[in-house]
Amino acid sequence: MAASLASKWSRVGRSLLGGLGNNLSGLSSTSHEMASGNFLSQQQRTFIQMRTVLKVVDNSGAKTVMCIQPLKGRKVARLGDTIVASVKEAMPTGKVKKGQVVHAVVVRAAMQHGRFDGSEVRFDDNAVVLVNKAGEPTGTRVFGPVPHELRRKKHVSILTLAEHLA
Amino acid sequence: MRLEKCWFCSSTVYPGHGIQFVRNDAKIFRFCRSKCHKNFKMKRNPRKVKWTKAYRRLHGKDMTQDSTFEFERKRNRPERYDRNLAENTLKAIKKIDKIRVAREERHHKLRMKGKKAKEQKEAAIELEQGIHLVKAPSVLAQDQSLTLPKIKVKVQAQAEENQAMEE
Repeated sequence: MAASLASKWSRVGRSLLGGLGNNLSGLSSTSHEMASGNFLSQQQRTFIQMRTVLKVVDNSGAKTVMCIQPLKGRKVARLGDTIVASVKEAMPTGKVKKGQVVHAVVVRAAMQHGRFDGSEVRFDDNAVVLVNKAGEPTGTRVFGPVPHELRRKKHVSILTLAEHLA
Repeated sequence: MRLEKCWFCSSTVYPGHGIQFVRNDAKIFRFCRSKCHKNFKMKRNPRKVKWTKAYRRLHGKDMTQDSTFEFERKRNRPERYDRNLAENTLKAIKKIDKIRVAREERHHKLRMKGKKAKEQKEAAIELEQGIHLVKAPSVLAQDQSLTLPKIKVKVQAQAEENQAMEE
């Protein structure tokens, strides 16, 4: 099942790249500087899955983590989901060390997330907050904006630490 | 429920439409449709893009200062629901819209004002230069005025046409 899913994603990726390639040829008539900008900005943002590298936005000590598995039996993770991750980069003085396997909550996702009023939100990057098995954050501060979706997922503790609420 | 303004083109974003992009400095950009969103991603400046309200206001195409705009300012304090107030607000909205549209039309008319004289001048020059296209020089020698000559057409073609139809 995972294999079939992987092949589906690779097909999606290839078709996307094909689509982007078409875009590039179509844009050759416009100015050269715009063409390169267009190619980069029309990225298709998708889910958070295995091997996705995410930024850590709390003061737990980790800098980046790599997703190992989305939790709750999901195939992919979106905004507000919990994942199992491996710490890739860490500050030397921190609560977590490199190579540690941790749980994390996705607080910002570049893929648009549908809200109940019909609108969609998207963030600038993929970011997580490290969490213990119970769901309490490892760090004591959270940086950057944080979405309302966490309230529904019962991550109120992260919301209280947040500086901005998107 | 709140009607937002598109960051790029300044049109209203109704509920259920558009995308809001949250930048990491917590600034929220709302877009009414993917056209505006894509232009934003291209890093285009709305003040330089001709079809946006920002450009039009900046270049004096649309009116900038008007008392009708004061009614639309963002208020963050929620009002307690009052049926009378709601009814009066709805009536007021209609009236204010009508007034604003009338003022915008007046602004547009004022903007387009000096054009008629210019158009007539251009037409006169064109007539003088191009009169030989419609008036034979011999006729022009006789009659110096720049009026178009009357052309007499002999009515013969009609009978031939009827015969073709019958066949």
